[in-house]
Amino acid sequence: MRLPYYPGCTLKTDAQNFETSTLEAAKTLDIELVELPRWNCCGTVHALAKDDVIHYLAPIRNLIRVDEMIANGEIEDGKLVTQCVMCWNTIKRANTAALEDPDKMEKIRGIMEKEPEYSGKVEVLHFLELLKEKGWETITGAVKLPLEGLKVAPYYGCLLLRPREFALDDPDNPRIIEDLLEALGAEVVDLAYKSKCCGAYHAVHMKEVSAELSHKILSQANEMGADMVVTACPLCEFNLGKRQHEIKKLHPEFSSIPVVYYTQLMALAFGLNEEATAFEENTPDPRPLLAEKGLIMER
Amino acid sequence: MIMENNESNMVTIHVMGKSHEVPGDLTIMKAMEYAGHQFRRGSGCRGGYCGACATIYRTKGSYKLLGALACQKMVEDDMYIAQIPFSPAEKKSYDINDLRADANAFMVHYPEISRCLSCNTCTKACPQDIMVMDYVQAALRGDVSEAAKLSFDCISCGLCAIRCPAEIVPYNIAQLARRLYSKYVDGPAEHVLEKLKEVEEGKFDAEIAELQSLDREALKERYETREKRL
Amino acid sequence: MSGYPESMQESLRLVEKTRPNRVGKALPEMTADEKEKILQDWHPDFKSDQKRALKIGPSKGMLVPHEVADNLEAHTIIKPGDIDLSNIDYDVDVLIIGAGGAGLSAAFLAQENGIPTEKILMVQKLRLGDANSKMSQGGIQAAVAPDDNPAIHYLDVIGGGHYENKPELAELLVREGPNVIRWHEELGVMYDKLEDGTMQLAPGGGTSRKRMLSCKDYTGLEITRVLIDEFLSREIPFVELTSAVEFIMDDKGQVAGAVLYDMDHDEYLICRAKVTVLATGGFGRLHIQGFETTNHYGSTNDGVVMAYHAGANLRDLDSTQFHPTGAAFPEQIVGQLCTEKLRARGAQPLNIDGELFVYPLETRDVEASALIRECYGREKGIVTPTGMRGIWLDTPLIEVINGEGTIEREFASMLRNFNKFGIDIRKEPMLVFPTLHYQNGGVEINARCETNIPGLFAAGEVTGGVHGKNRLMGNSQLELYVFGRRAGVFAAEHAKNVELGELTLSHLDQYEKWLDETGIETDRKAPILLPEYRGKKTLKHQIKLL
Repeated sequence: MRLPYYPGCTLKTDAQNFETSTLEAAKTLDIELVELPRWNCCGTVHALAKDDVIHYLAPIRNLIRVDEMIANGEIEDGKLVTQCVMCWNTIKRANTAALEDPDKMEKIRGIMEKEPEYSGKVEVLHFLELLKEKGWETITGAVKLPLEGLKVAPYYGCLLLRPREFALDDPDNPRIIEDLLEALGAEVVDLAYKSKCCGAYHAVHMKEVSAELSHKILSQANEMGADMVVTACPLCEFNLGKRQHEIKKLHPEFSSIPVVYYTQLMALAFGLNEEATAFEENTPDPRPLLAEKGLIMER
Repeated sequence: MIMENNESNMVTIHVMGKSHEVPGDLTIMKAMEYAGHQFRRGSGCRGGYCGACATIYRTKGSYKLLGALACQKMVEDDMYIAQIPFSPAEKKSYDINDLRADANAFMVHYPEISRCLSCNTCTKACPQDIMVMDYVQAALRGDVSEAAKLSFDCISCGLCAIRCPAEIVPYNIAQLARRLYSKYVDGPAEHVLEKLKEVEEGKFDAEIAELQSLDREALKERYETREKRL
Repeated sequence: MSGYPESMQESLRLVEKTRPNRVGKALPEMTADEKEKILQDWHPDFKSDQKRALKIGPSKGMLVPHEVADNLEAHTIIKPGDIDLSNIDYDVDVLIIGAGGAGLSAAFLAQENGIPTEKILMVQKLRLGDANSKMSQGGIQAAVAPDDNPAIHYLDVIGGGHYENKPELAELLVREGPNVIRWHEELGVMYDKLEDGTMQLAPGGGTSRKRMLSCKDYTGLEITRVLIDEFLSREIPFVELTSAVEFIMDDKGQVAGAVLYDMDHDEYLICRAKVTVLATGGFGRLHIQGFETTNHYGSTNDGVVMAYHAGANLRDLDSTQFHPTGAAFPEQIVGQLCTEKLRARGAQPLNIDGELFVYPLETRDVEASALIRECYGREKGIVTPTGMRGIWLDTPLIEVINGEGTIEREFASMLRNFNKFGIDIRKEPMLVFPTLHYQNGGVEINARCETNIPGLFAAGEVTGGVHGKNRLMGNSQLELYVFGRRAGVFAAEHAKNVELGELTLSHLDQYEKWLDETGIETDRKAPILLPEYRGKKTLKHQIKLL
């Protein structure tokens, strides 16, 4: 029996007896261990490869900017509000990881060298969390045009709820967007698929994978009688909304349904103007439907 | 009026491995010349404006690889020096008239910009103390104004490009950002175009011709008594 | 923490003490007679023992500084017999020598005026843009303000030049100003603007209007790098680290290209060209009268030497510009430029007692003379530890007058360059002394940028006539683009009607013959291409084996 064998650096230095005995024992058993040609480090000592510290620099640096704002007296609270779910998820996870792992934080400091040290005191908030903190009655108090009769299906996607320990709401039964929509006076349509995958970055190279996944979600919304879907994620908005023509290619019978950001419905309910609601940038265009519901003027 | 070198405080520098005793109050550039080097590459304006003398060095006992302009940085004892007089990089050809001031302009010509890890190595390498990473990030998100302003003091020495682990050439991105900013965000000053129109219409021809017809004494009289509005 | 040694502290305290009383104060401008006298008494140009009459060549008898005469009365570095003209490496319509502002502009306009891109060649002794063009700090003049116009600009130029300018060139300079700025803005040059979108304008020495446009204090850098970016985008052929060393003539007496010298490989190359544009810049690195210089490493008078070998007329080379404010401390940056814009924005020149002694915006020749007089006539200079004398330039006043943050915003390069040596110019003054800055004269051209030799055009600092005997701040930047562009246009036009004859270098033999006949015995050779700064020991032991 002839097998390639990877010794590693310790067996060549501090544990040479380990290697010698291994090779001899193997020989006894008629196993020929052939040292792997051109072997290099197994990778364990490369801090960057193991813990990926380099990827923490960007988010941690953003948190340092918050520290600086506090130091300059520009703000009081050490809170950073984000909206894009990807940013929120990334920065929050980096923050937690850094705070819970002093070794990692030390390595980050080492790499960042002369840059200011992170205080570890910043709290990362998603805008939805901020709204919840404000209280739903405050939101209702700001409503000038209740979204009565508008049936809206919330779609969470992945990053607001995964991984579980970072979820901004109960990962199995989230309520936060539902609560918001109800505060705005809309009717909530509960989708079983509200946290299923939209296809994410498959949209780049495997369009049909995204299209199929999105089709499932949107078809359910249609079946449940929703007028539109709301999301908090630009990538979900892209897959579910702007790529509906790809779904049509695979499923000609599919009937399109508007997909908007939850903040657009807030702007609408708060009675803000067209510049604020910015529905013209959504595909499909939600305005005919909203006009039909009497929520915006006919154009 | 060219100064003699002060040889009371000598230090040792190691230029590409060769050691030299040089006066300690010289810049790297003058110290290398003192030691016998005649620059062909690696010396330009000698005043911190051209980026010809990009230099990397280490100091004794430190693993840190530092960057500097040889004409601006003083020698230190036991400095290990090499010059990087040229930074290989492809500058993309474009017609500035065909572009728009947005993120796309950068993504199309320099798509590697999206590889930025935000590691900030470029910023640390910059001898002009420019926040290089910040302007790369600004360009990436289409903030042409910010990228242009942050990068304004760039002299294209190339040290950022040499150190970038994502192999981005920041100074090329900066150059594009500044041109886009000037042309599309800032736009031309209207009064320049108005004055140009007046000149082209010949509005000042007679006045210039009249000045040219004067003899020296009359011209001198006119000059000495001219109105000043400062 | 002061950036100055103990020996200079007492004077610094006086500067601080007098500062509050100096805000808004200025001595009056000198009268015409006073100016004439101070120039006579103190300007380096007027030291008669520092010049001599040229013994040979087309401008024989013209007074020039010894350093220039040495450069012209020298052997050629190549001998015709050593060069094979039959083996042509580059065969082009337009050869442009020098890649500063003038050369780059000429390349664009030659291309736009019908010369095929592949029939243009730019050669550059060092790298693209390695030129004084890039080092200009304070600004570029152009009559673009509502209360200004080219006629007003013209009078400033002519008076500043002591009425010795070539009128048609001075006229073109001022007339083309607004057009050059338009062109720059179309290319994407970032000029400093006010909130309302108009140009930020400053005065300069000898200007009667606020006429100085700027790009912080990196004006030349910003313009040059935009031109380089455009040049590379247009894919115009160029060779760096390749210096023209002599013109090639043809048997009809035309300039027909140049012998090039590859600085990396020490080999010569032959470029045949229907037209050649000379844009090689000035002579600062000849260190006239031993002065330190603001100039680029490559400013070694090569263009004037080559043109003179080929028979070009020179003019105004007796006149040299000494910039009033070169750095005098710290030692590491002695001679480097401290922009005139500092004075335009309120910095005052002061003597050792912290007193005003001159109007801050005299023309450069007068201002420089006043600084020299204060140091060497009135003995009121500040002496540095190395024995150099200087004058304070009270930069903190800029912030007193214009508000905190002005220096960081408008003088980023000055702030940075002094900060590197521990001097914060927001808090402490600079120490300055006149420094060699610009060659006012050069190769004579006409309005079409033609020299007296067919086929040879020239633009920029290498030429004479535009500025007369003294140049105003910001007019050299303008000159580069006005005359660089014109050179491109007329060179392109000329190239279309040229038939070249047999190539020859016989003019070099002729030059050697003149040297011989005149009895000039020397081992000097020119052009020198690079200045010599190597240590004494190296030079003493120098041999050439390889």
